[in-house]
Amino acid sequence: MFLFTLTRLVYLGVVLVVMSILVFLITQAMPGDVAHLIAGQFASKEVVEAISIKLGLDQPLIVQYGRWAAGILHGDLGRSLTLEQAIAPIVIEALIRSLVLAVSALFIVAVLGIGLGVLAAVRRGKLSDQMVSGISYIGIAVPDFFWAILLILVFGSYLQLLPTGGYAPISDGFLAWAKHLILPVITLVLMMLARVARLTRSSMIDVLQTNYVKYARAKGMPERVVIFRHALKNALLPTITVLAINFGWILGGVVVIETVFSYPGLGRLLLFAIQRHDLPLIQATILLVSTAYCLANLVADLLYAFVNPKIRHSMSNN
Amino acid sequence: MAAASPSASSPARWPLSLWIGMAMLAPLILVAVGGPAVAPYVYDEMNFLARLQPPGPDFWCGTDEFGRDVFSRTLVGTRESLIMGFSATLISLVIGMPLGLIAGYKRGRIEELIMRASDVLLSFPPILLGILVLAVTPPALWKAIVAIGIVYAPQVVRVTRAITLELMQEEFIEAARLRGESARYVLFSEILPNIWPPLAVETSLRIVFAILLGAALSFIGMGAQPPSSDWGLMIAEARPFVEQAPWIALCPGFALAVTVIGINLLGDGLRAVLDPRNTGRH
Amino acid sequence: MRAPSDSSPQTPVLDVRNLTISYTSARGTQRAVTDVSLAIMPGEVVGLVGESGSGKSTVAMAVLDLLGEDGVIETGDILFEGTDLRTLSATERRALLGHRIGAVFQDPFTSLNPAYTVGDQIAEPLIRHKGFSAAQAAPRVEELLAEVGIREPGRIARSYPHQLSGGMQQRALIATAISCEPRFLILDEPTTALDVTVEAKIIELLASLCDRHRLAALFVSHNLGIVNRLCSSICVLYGSQIVETGRTRDVLADPVHPYTKGLIAALPHITAERHQRLPSIPGTVGKAAAMPTACVFAQRCPFVEDACRNQAQALRKSAGGRDTRCWKSDALKEAPWPTEAGLATARKAPTQQTAPLIEVEGLCKTFDGGRSILPWRRRSGTVAVDHVSFTIERGEVLGLVGESGSGKSTIGRSILALIEPSAGKVTFDGADFVEGARQGDRDLRRRAQLVFQNSAASLNPRKTVGAAIARPLVLSGLTEPKARREKVAELLSRVGLPIHYAERYPHELSGGERQRVNIARALASEPEFIVCDEAVSALDVSVQANILNLLSELRDELGLAYLFITHDIAVISHIADRVLVIYGGTLCEEGPIERILRPPYHPYTEALLSAVPRLARAGDGPERPRILLEDTMVTTSGGCVFRGRCPRKRGAVCDEQAPPVQTAADGHRIACHIPLAELAAAAPVFPDLVA
Repeated sequence: MFLFTLTRLVYLGVVLVVMSILVFLITQAMPGDVAHLIAGQFASKEVVEAISIKLGLDQPLIVQYGRWAAGILHGDLGRSLTLEQAIAPIVIEALIRSLVLAVSALFIVAVLGIGLGVLAAVRRGKLSDQMVSGISYIGIAVPDFFWAILLILVFGSYLQLLPTGGYAPISDGFLAWAKHLILPVITLVLMMLARVARLTRSSMIDVLQTNYVKYARAKGMPERVVIFRHALKNALLPTITVLAINFGWILGGVVVIETVFSYPGLGRLLLFAIQRHDLPLIQATILLVSTAYCLANLVADLLYAFVNPKIRHSMSNN
Repeated sequence: MAAASPSASSPARWPLSLWIGMAMLAPLILVAVGGPAVAPYVYDEMNFLARLQPPGPDFWCGTDEFGRDVFSRTLVGTRESLIMGFSATLISLVIGMPLGLIAGYKRGRIEELIMRASDVLLSFPPILLGILVLAVTPPALWKAIVAIGIVYAPQVVRVTRAITLELMQEEFIEAARLRGESARYVLFSEILPNIWPPLAVETSLRIVFAILLGAALSFIGMGAQPPSSDWGLMIAEARPFVEQAPWIALCPGFALAVTVIGINLLGDGLRAVLDPRNTGRH
Repeated sequence: MRAPSDSSPQTPVLDVRNLTISYTSARGTQRAVTDVSLAIMPGEVVGLVGESGSGKSTVAMAVLDLLGEDGVIETGDILFEGTDLRTLSATERRALLGHRIGAVFQDPFTSLNPAYTVGDQIAEPLIRHKGFSAAQAAPRVEELLAEVGIREPGRIARSYPHQLSGGMQQRALIATAISCEPRFLILDEPTTALDVTVEAKIIELLASLCDRHRLAALFVSHNLGIVNRLCSSICVLYGSQIVETGRTRDVLADPVHPYTKGLIAALPHITAERHQRLPSIPGTVGKAAAMPTACVFAQRCPFVEDACRNQAQALRKSAGGRDTRCWKSDALKEAPWPTEAGLATARKAPTQQTAPLIEVEGLCKTFDGGRSILPWRRRSGTVAVDHVSFTIERGEVLGLVGESGSGKSTIGRSILALIEPSAGKVTFDGADFVEGARQGDRDLRRRAQLVFQNSAASLNPRKTVGAAIARPLVLSGLTEPKARREKVAELLSRVGLPIHYAERYPHELSGGERQRVNIARALASEPEFIVCDEAVSALDVSVQANILNLLSELRDELGLAYLFITHDIAVISHIADRVLVIYGGTLCEEGPIERILRPPYHPYTEALLSAVPRLARAGDGPERPRILLEDTMVTTSGGCVFRGRCPRKRGAVCDEQAPPVQTAADGHRIACHIPLAELAAAAPVFPDLVA
């Protein structure tokens, strides 16, 4: 298990390095010269060149990448060109706000999705199964931003129950803070729920047809024990992987959702940075989101190995 | 395409979902082919005398803030959405399928290389990868299509490889190797006919994802550009008026949902028809 | 809960009355069991025998209330210790299982939950039905494991299923079944997935458990030899109906119903008379009709008359529980199952004048363990085949016998270059086969073919039978394009299939028919040599006899040489000229089949032969006691591979030195440290063969 964790960490490190190179190269290829941007539209050629030299933009790409990467390792993400301040505190604040959204959505999706999936599998073909399938279909079919607009329309405009967007720091009171979270979280949940429920249902149906479930019944275990003890633990293996992937979806989804709800998280920051061609800010946000996604995958891998004794043993015997 | 397949049962036994899916998609495809010709109004013609009109006999789905007919815009947007979904998926297949086949067939170092590369691409959340690709240059529809195609290619690689690996274990592949068949014959005559049914199902899923991702990219302003009537863009433009004129957003949103549900039903139906377990194979 | 009437010796433990079961699916209703009645007295083990699709497992599942949603009991009662189970609620029935009724299923590996330790799973019924706490259950679990013959019960209880061998897993299941001390067991093919030597031990264990605890059991099996060992009486099922019942000894020695006669006759028997066609049952099992209007066996019965086709048969009762579903069984009492014409054609005797067709020298295959998760480490490989050498003459049938993991399939695939050997040389008619195959020599490929075990997997599901058979014709270029259709038709009729089958897809054929297609495909390239890798193992007895006869005919007419890979001694003794016995990737013994079946034996061969479940026939001597091997396998290198399980291990020499190859008469060779004279002194396993 220890070795397994270690190798996964090494692997994660490699992926992150490759990813950072990719991010760096792509952002370098973006239109607009940074020095030009800083100097302003009407600056003379000499001024632009001076800024270039000052920022090291005249040096080869490898050197630039090396400086950038070294900075990251020291916790220095550079300075934003448009906001004119250090990036690290800005992104970290935004990241925390986004994570609040993502983690609470993921938690609700896991509980609700697995529950609905199990219900549908056990009552296969019955009314409750068909209802779950129906809801799943609609959940998958409607894009997240459209859900967001519908929710704003119903709960914000018509019912006037919840704020239609924005953010209240927790210092304004828990209730105000939580109220701003509800609609974005519901949107994220709606986006993911169907996938998790459908997957849990199909893997649960597969497991319910296995011999060991049949044998658990032949041992006289009541159906409740058969389903929750014998079937569910095995059926959850694929669901765990999908939850991790979903976490990535949620992290991606926040870009859109935060825009609709004017929620000041990482996603909105990224779009802002792209619109302003703020290269260091783009690099930092994308790298941060991807890192979070990789970490989620790592957690899923470890969890998977932990739940599955076959993998756990092949790890420790190695 | 199912005509020659032994496991596709006769149309009389096709599941209901397949029929409903086809019934939902057929008019959409007609509308997409017809394009502006079938729309009652010119989709981007402004009419400042009829701004933000609610749905009525003149404007079935109302008008937007420039007085453009929402119904016509939605109809015309069908083509863009379908083109986006299908061509992006086509790109994913063209990139992903050969790589997946090679990885599954050749194994070894090549497989390692392909899989690691797609792992790295999979390490980005899909929409971020799309944004990253699009951020390089000014946004445009075709760029969004290419970006989506690239974003989903690793998934196609994975699926194709998994199916190929499974097939490579089958004894009829061994039998082919025993005859001394060429790699080309094994790939095209033994593996490919068995790979397309599960891949067809996967493709229907991919199209759905591509349409949704395309709409999301347009929604955040990185896909189709005004005055296009792409559904994602229409919803984005409707956002400020959603309280006064919800129809501007509801109409394209509804169209999106119908498209996606139709393709999903079609995929589910295909799965049922093409699954060898449902065809009495022992 | 308790049964209302206390089970006196007169009350059967299980009393099934007129049970009729159907399965409904989207494709319609399929009758699975028709009017089955059987009673099991306390302490009695009853065998329920039949081929696949006969409905035998359905009866067992109906008793357990595990038919699934599609299975419907149409009529009939199931009385357990006097209580009609069908009047109980689902919860009450479930509570009987594991408590008063124990069950063991066919495949132990899939019957154990991979997510929990074996000990946890054995403890479950104790906790559920007996109210044990987990702490109380633990010592009891170890007792149970010890009772089913497991050496280190504590360690095994803490293991996960995938860490155990098949035999150990089945013991764990048996321990689960007996944990609450039931008086009745349902045994659904409990040894079918196991090797012969393991099977022998499990049967011995079940017999002693039933004996010791006076357990009654319903034993479902397709294997008459095992039923013969374990069951006091049997019911033979055919096409969803019971066709014959009676005391096991009576039914097997003196079958009355034509189907039973045919089934017993078609079983390959280890005898001295070889090169005979096996008697076989023509045709295939049809679908059971909901309202039968004829005898279910009429279409395949050699004794059929018009009267058989006009009305359904009723079970005729007679003394001693000998019931038969055949109106003319009294008249058939003395009539044997018809034997087919002895040697169909004169056989071309294996020629030894010329050089052998195939020479295998020092064949080795090590599978590397794959990449370790640590990229800089590689797992140590497993040795599948270790320096195996042998030859095959033209027209000779060489049998290759071994259990799972012995490397027999690897040998078959290595000599055809489907797997690249790690070392060693395969010479085919003077040419290096592996090298030739690597360079794409199709003509060399054409001359050596393979028939697989799994008839379904070896045919591309999306190609017609005709296309599958025609492809080798295209490749070999032996047949003109225009003549291909005719050639395909010729090959189909050669293997006994109608010509219109060329248009069909594999899934439209039965297992036996598909295997015929596989043989036709192998013949298409006009080979001189065919590897048959467990080619008849997956087939039912009546179909197996047909395929074996076909293979013998082809050998005789075309002078084909076979490498016949199997785990089934009876099949090998029927078809092989010479035999290789393989264990753990090395050859133990090699020689003509007559020599292999008689002493001197390699200790492994001796155990293997003695473990084969047999039907006693008139003239067979008394059965000698079986040699039971340990479950464990020692795989460390050096020494004899069999030493870990060898009942005749000599001591340190077996651990340290590879056994020497000793040569007896007729090219009979044994690799063992025990001197030949001592090995020759062993009692013969088949005394009737010695004379």
